[in-house]
Amino acid sequence: MELKRTARPYGLALLALSAAGLLSILVGSVPLSFKDLLDGLSSLGSEVENTAGTILFSLRLPRTILIAMVGAALAGSGTAYQGLFRNPLADPYLIGVASGAGLGAVAAMSIHWSYTTLGLLAVPLAAFISGLATVAIVYALARVGQALPASNLILAGVAVSSFATALTSFLMLRASGELRRALAWLLGGATMSGWQPVLALLPYWVVGLGILLTFGHALNVLQFGDEQAQQLGLPVNRVRRWIIVAASLTTAAAVSFAGIIGFVGLIIPHILRLLIGPDYRRLLPLSLIGGAALLLGADVLARVLLAPQELPVGIVTALAGAPFFLWVLRRSRQANFWS
Amino acid sequence: MKRLSQLLLVLTLLATVLVACTSGAQPPSPSPITLTDGLGREVTLAAPAQLIVSLAPSNTEILYAVGAGDQVVGRDEFSNYPEAAAAIQSVGGSMGDYNFEQIVSLKPDLVLAAEINTPEQVKALEDLGVTVYYLKNPTNIPGMFANLEIVGQLTGHSAEVTALVDSLRQRVTGVEAKVANVTVTPRVFYELDGTDPAKPWTAGAGTFIDQLISMAGGENVAASLDGSWGQLSQEALLVANPDIILLGDAAYGTTAEQVSARPGWDAIQAVKTGQIVPFNDDTVSRPGPRLVDALEELVRILHPELK
Repeated sequence: MELKRTARPYGLALLALSAAGLLSILVGSVPLSFKDLLDGLSSLGSEVENTAGTILFSLRLPRTILIAMVGAALAGSGTAYQGLFRNPLADPYLIGVASGAGLGAVAAMSIHWSYTTLGLLAVPLAAFISGLATVAIVYALARVGQALPASNLILAGVAVSSFATALTSFLMLRASGELRRALAWLLGGATMSGWQPVLALLPYWVVGLGILLTFGHALNVLQFGDEQAQQLGLPVNRVRRWIIVAASLTTAAAVSFAGIIGFVGLIIPHILRLLIGPDYRRLLPLSLIGGAALLLGADVLARVLLAPQELPVGIVTALAGAPFFLWVLRRSRQANFWS
Repeated sequence: MKRLSQLLLVLTLLATVLVACTSGAQPPSPSPITLTDGLGREVTLAAPAQLIVSLAPSNTEILYAVGAGDQVVGRDEFSNYPEAAAAIQSVGGSMGDYNFEQIVSLKPDLVLAAEINTPEQVKALEDLGVTVYYLKNPTNIPGMFANLEIVGQLTGHSAEVTALVDSLRQRVTGVEAKVANVTVTPRVFYELDGTDPAKPWTAGAGTFIDQLISMAGGENVAASLDGSWGQLSQEALLVANPDIILLGDAAYGTTAEQVSARPGWDAIQAVKTGQIVPFNDDTVSRPGPRLVDALEELVRILHPELK
């Protein structure tokens, strides 16, 4: 009975993820029937040119996997940050990784790169490096001796983020030719097609989220407050450092290939907390599945709402995510939902 | 050693004979077309492209102008000229986002990309097995002619292009001859977007707008603008005091009446004399053959005295 109760949320979340994943593969601007899907499967590896096969394996499948990975990365990091900072407004971008990555990406876009592998990867590389560098700056600014006060991190994060965002806007105005590209990137969505981004994201995703998953218990203890947690034997500063490193790596890698997708990292932890309670040992793994499912759903909507035009998925996550979040909030009928 | 070289010689001879035989036996096939594109990529077509997707309005206009309109099977969202292009399947392109699924399903033998497309998009299409030619923006009229010739080669319309370029070149020469004797060069302000009348967007040096205004015997008051596109402050505009205001944003509903009513603008010469003229921005913002139309239109506006 106990096992059944613990397993049920996982089953439901996986069901949602499978449904969203299947929709994401089947829905697109070119209608593919189930037969096309089978034809595409059978043509795999053969030399026969098959349009359905190309669309499935070179466009849809890698995109579905990338979007799922990004959703999981953002929701997992968001959950960890909300626990770490004990702040309901925390999201993976709280201490500057997104604004830093945005600055790097837009700066890279304003330069004419040659048509080489390095030139083609300039934007994601610059976004990744500049995202991590920004977090490092915030970290250095917030540190007081050996201690790393949460409020310092948040304040330094806000200030450095504003600075980076202002620089980004300035660059966008200067390089007006690239304005649309920059804007589309900043609003989020899969910017590169094919398997390359999936493979590039994979190591950071596995390592980063792997580390985060081991901190469920530590995050539970942290909810008593820094001092209490320290007295209970938790090395608070070390935990904080590890979570920041892991979440930053994962988020920076995700943002590099998917742009700045808002809201997923903020609402998934809240929705899950309302549904299954505040235990981070379950919140963390469930947030990965939930984030992947939510972002896949939003991506499907982004593709069909104004088809054949594609909306930036960041717009959809906020447009569809905010009402959904409010609905869950109202339904829970809790006076104080943050607990 | 000697034996080895002898063997090589025999082999080479054999190979030559074989090649000669096979090439003689086969019917003459069209020779492949190999061109280097704007990204420095070598693009090879087995034969002139017959199923073409255009990713930019300028490319669509060029394709139709060189006589390859019937070979276009897909176009970007914004391709609205010539009218026939509207009937062609759109492959997206708003927000710089193209529908790759649609492009692949059209099975094109050539995708004609432009500078509004990113190298990443070119790479992605290439990875999907699509042949892409990236047509770089020309920086001057001869460069535009060169682009026409490239597209002519890619589509098998070189003969038409020669005639087209000849006639365009004659029209440009005609304008130059007419303008050579003008004594006054009116100062021109070209408005791209005047949503904020305190600092309207305009075009500076390096743009076709600037070049064509000069060629038409005028002076672009924003020529010294830092960067190709920028916002000119209203103060600078008052000091420059243009004789003519061209409304490139007329298509978005800006009218001469609105411009005259803007606070402070009544001090500008062009507003006093009512020289505020709507202008078809597509002809100057798309680097295609209509640049010559734009040039002639500019001469008509700037120098109505020339017949």
